[in-house]
Amino acid sequence: MSAGYRQQPGSSSSKRTDGKRVAGKQVFPPPGSGGSHPTMKERDLDFIPESVGGKEPQPAGSHIHDRIRTGTVVGKSLSLVDSNAKVTGQAWYGDDVRLPNEVIGKILRSPHHYAKIKSIDTSRVEALPGVIAVATGQDATNRFGVLPVTKDEHAMAVEKVRHMGDLVACVCAESEAIAIEALALFDIEWEQLEPVFNRKMGLEDVDEPIHWRGKYHLSRTNVQKRVFQEFGDRSLVTNPHASSHGKWSMEGVHHGFTEPHAVVAHWDPNGRLQLYTPQQVPHYTHRALSTVLNVPMHQINVIRTFVGGGFGGKSDPFPHEMCAAILARKAGRPVRITFDREEVYWINRGRHPSDIEVKMTADDIGRISGFDIDALIDGGGFASFGHVTSYYNGVLATAPYELGSFHYTGARVWTNKPASGAMRGHGAVNTRCAVEVGLDEMAEQMAVDPIDLRLANLLPPHSRTITGFRITSNGMREALEEVRKGSKWDEKFRQMPLGKGIGVGCGFFISGSGLPIHWDPNRFPHATVHIQVDMDGGVTVHTGAADIGQGSTTAVAQVVAEVLALPIEMIHVRSHESDTSPVDLGSYSSRVTFMNANAAIRAALEIREQILKAAWDILGYHPNTLVLNDRRIYYKHDPAVGVSYLKALHKAQEDKGSLIASGAYRSPPMGGVHKGAAAGLAPAYSFSAYVAEVDVDVELGLVKCTNVWAAHDCGKALNPLAVKGQIIGSCHMGLGQVLSEKMVYGRTGHLQNPNLLEYKIPSVHEMPHVVPIIIESCDPEGPFGAKEAGEGPLLPILPAVVNAVYDAVGIRFRDLPLTPDTVYKGIERKRRSLKLDDCLDLPSPRLEHGPMQEILVERAKEHRTRDKARQRTEDTSHYVNGVLFGFDPNIPLEDQVDGWRMATEPDPEQLAELGLAGKAWLKKTQREMGRD
Amino acid sequence: MPPFILHHPVSIAEATQIASELIESGEDFDWVAGGTDVLPNYKWRINPKPHVISLAKIPEANHVTQYEIGCMTKLSSLTEENGVHPLIAEAASKIASSLIRKSATVGGNLCLDTRCFWYNQSEDWRRSIDWCHKADCGTGADCRVIPNQNTLCVATYQGDLAPNFMALGATVTLIGPQGDRTIPLTEFYQLDGMKKNVLQPGEFMLKVTLPQDAYEYDGSYQKLRLRESWDFPEAGITAVWKKGDYSSLKIASTALESIPKIHGEQVDEFVEKWEKGSTIPLLSEAIRRSVKPVNNTALPPNYRRSVVRVLAKRALKNIGCE
Repeated sequence: MSAGYRQQPGSSSSKRTDGKRVAGKQVFPPPGSGGSHPTMKERDLDFIPESVGGKEPQPAGSHIHDRIRTGTVVGKSLSLVDSNAKVTGQAWYGDDVRLPNEVIGKILRSPHHYAKIKSIDTSRVEALPGVIAVATGQDATNRFGVLPVTKDEHAMAVEKVRHMGDLVACVCAESEAIAIEALALFDIEWEQLEPVFNRKMGLEDVDEPIHWRGKYHLSRTNVQKRVFQEFGDRSLVTNPHASSHGKWSMEGVHHGFTEPHAVVAHWDPNGRLQLYTPQQVPHYTHRALSTVLNVPMHQINVIRTFVGGGFGGKSDPFPHEMCAAILARKAGRPVRITFDREEVYWINRGRHPSDIEVKMTADDIGRISGFDIDALIDGGGFASFGHVTSYYNGVLATAPYELGSFHYTGARVWTNKPASGAMRGHGAVNTRCAVEVGLDEMAEQMAVDPIDLRLANLLPPHSRTITGFRITSNGMREALEEVRKGSKWDEKFRQMPLGKGIGVGCGFFISGSGLPIHWDPNRFPHATVHIQVDMDGGVTVHTGAADIGQGSTTAVAQVVAEVLALPIEMIHVRSHESDTSPVDLGSYSSRVTFMNANAAIRAALEIREQILKAAWDILGYHPNTLVLNDRRIYYKHDPAVGVSYLKALHKAQEDKGSLIASGAYRSPPMGGVHKGAAAGLAPAYSFSAYVAEVDVDVELGLVKCTNVWAAHDCGKALNPLAVKGQIIGSCHMGLGQVLSEKMVYGRTGHLQNPNLLEYKIPSVHEMPHVVPIIIESCDPEGPFGAKEAGEGPLLPILPAVVNAVYDAVGIRFRDLPLTPDTVYKGIERKRRSLKLDDCLDLPSPRLEHGPMQEILVERAKEHRTRDKARQRTEDTSHYVNGVLFGFDPNIPLEDQVDGWRMATEPDPEQLAELGLAGKAWLKKTQREMGRD
Repeated sequence: MPPFILHHPVSIAEATQIASELIESGEDFDWVAGGTDVLPNYKWRINPKPHVISLAKIPEANHVTQYEIGCMTKLSSLTEENGVHPLIAEAASKIASSLIRKSATVGGNLCLDTRCFWYNQSEDWRRSIDWCHKADCGTGADCRVIPNQNTLCVATYQGDLAPNFMALGATVTLIGPQGDRTIPLTEFYQLDGMKKNVLQPGEFMLKVTLPQDAYEYDGSYQKLRLRESWDFPEAGITAVWKKGDYSSLKIASTALESIPKIHGEQVDEFVEKWEKGSTIPLLSEAIRRSVKPVNNTALPPNYRRSVVRVLAKRALKNIGCE
């Protein structure tokens, strides 16, 4: 017999002894029971909450979903439901789709950074034997973009190219070799334009801005978006007791997902487009295709293949998806386009290269009186998600802290580089790093422990941030306490020898974006899930949630299994096709578990009700007295009186056939009304705290992160294994950004490292030992209490490492990544300034607690009690940012504080003192200039 | 990847004959051993050739003893357990990744093409900078690292084995249409990133031979790199000696210039008047001064040059110099 993976039927020898099933071979008992176990399993009381009579502890209080817990799968570590497909190599990714008669498409990319296309002659291409179809920008002139407010992309350049690698034309041919040969035969006349690479230059007026926004265009600059936000009492900032001021320069980073982009397009015999693509957000692609191709959405079926990693890099509708569809329409045959790794970097959408300036102040009792942030971010050639990123860089940096005032100026500029976009931790990562390092610096000035400084300034559960975000559950305090304990912080901080350091950082992230960007949330839900249960008892769940490896399919399957008390192998999730899945916003802003699982619970509840009603008919006991457990429904007080799940199901199906239910999720009304109030709004927020330990090779400047204690508040871990995986994976990705990864643009403006050898993603050797710590704060609105765990855990690792490096060598680095040359330079500078011969004689920073320490510890203790009461809703009083400063939460702050600001535009007198990005406010729009 | 015809000679004679025939008919070709350097370059259309002659089936190329290592020997088999010199084993274990070491070979590593971030790029990328001196595609393009000079290629040699074999005094046997020759490895490399080495058209490296006293040497190889896997050296320093005998001390470097170097001059200057405690910093500094890296690898050249001092110091201390 040959070795390797075998399809069923298998021989009896393949039976496992550990109780797990063998892939491809399911030993089902005869029809009647369903599931792989012949008899009903007992209720697992360890996974049924205390509040409903189980043994699962609930330190953070009870939850509205407790009564539908069945102890089946929620809270248990399960392997992901699609893992068998992946580990056996049978998952079908973008490039695995092979349709009969396919042709191969290739994209002609711009060799220039910025140029007008004067003419394109395709006649030589068309004449090449084997070429099937050719397309250029003129074949699809409609614009698209991921955000409705910034549609600035075309399938291929219509008038000008905006960065090297921008799409110019495409061709499909019988073979890849012919298609590549054809690319050399395009005759193009270019008129080169003066490119802009430097983001600071993006603020200046130029002859030919990269895009033109008509009357909304800001003078003749390349500013795509500017933001101003000012909240709170600015007078608190004067005469600070401690302050920190840092200017950061952060390089752009890329997601580095394993699977390069790939797409297959096919117009079926009925003239409908079938498009296969590894998309995080198939729905946006669906919309964009409709716009670009001038075809109604119902004539397009977007099929999401397995996604080989996304991290935000596969959430835009992409021009190559349009190209494939255009070519396939012309060719009358399926077209497949697969990217080379280099092309992945040309489409980019990675994290914005940024210049960030953070000023912060604290008053004489250690309260944070002001955060002052200025962020200039480099958007590259297109808008992508940048409109939102411009806000996130400011507004997501405020919490988890209670602030006296907050001032933010941000600007995103176009440059002639591949477009930046959304990447894991979207918009929040860079400023978070700057802010957390600033807090560390202030703690040092005040001679206090930075963890205590944080603990004494946290917003409590059920409160509002300074910009008006509604905080519900909040496990920040517990997270900090856990990492302090786990890392033995108090024995190590400021006490280790030169080269060894320990540092802390916190994080705060949205769990789902509060506003669906394409529609009014009051009129159409964020997420819809359909469930169908047919005669066989199997449950088919239709959702548009895009599993990108984070386990969304598993999460949806889990909650349905939990509500219906069925083994998870009876739940079949269908999420690949837009034809069958209800409209869903897909996988971004860490929304899927929160929104889709909530929708799935609602749908499952409807099915549950129908089955219980049928059981009532059979047993004669009211559903309130019936227990739903592993494929059986029985009377609470006499388990012998019961009926099998299938029997009850068939009873329920008597008149109508298969059971069908639909569930939806929409977010509650929340947040303020100011301009930009919706950016950063989320139905819940995740919190995290990390402590990182580093070893710095002082002579070489090499930083190695050795240990990380990573606590993340995900509300409730539906699947602890998956949560831990996300925490460890986030550590890896964040470590790359802080230590080695950067998109290097050379003196000619070319990306110097568009490949995985020179773009330095940490290898397994660079991975520290990560101790994932799950904090469960039980979110009142989350499914079974859950919040996000996919993005937030990335945030704290950056500042934790930067702070640890300070602890190790006493130098505050503010240029990321901390490559050895940067660190070496810093160490040498310090060595020279101290007039030392050997850098090994550098002093390590030490801490002797000042008088402020006691004040903070006292306050933290009080707040601990306060937070506990609020978390368990024993205290339901109002709390808004400002209470710490003595304000009354029941009266609008602007009514009780003179000078309490809530501004979204600078006052004229402020214009002179704005930071780098703030300079964008010195420019007038074309409309204000009286032009059109 | 551009298509090519693969030849599989099974003897040295056949290999030379194929090479001679191709030369006569004016056809261009490359030798290939493990292919981990040549084939990725081909994929990027960096000097692809219509013919490739594989050395895989030549018995002598696969022959390994303690002193003779055939060019087809896999890097993964260069271990102390296999009787390989500890220094060579150490250096080999630091090359690329474990997966690549299972294909990559000793000959390939010694004959590694020089690298440069203006050169190791796809064809589209290089076209958009109007090519470079090393692969000018007939345009006579200028060097992109040091503009306004198109006489010298400054691409960096980033092999790990060379400095170690050099320091141990290894020789290499080259086979060509004009006959065999054996030369010291130190004379194998030729300055200029395009020329790289002394191999004549049709000539290939068959084996490396260590001198009889090689096992009397203790050595240490210090490799600077960002990641402990995959990465080529950004700088590499080897020091060897017969323990306690300063006159036997040898230092070699790699990844700092277009060729690996043995630093005889600098060592000679200090060996005579070695003073415990004070010579190591002086010698390390002399080594640093003698290398001139340029800006064409991942880390900046001034940094790479600065830390040569640290690497040299560590290599010397590791082998017991005081």
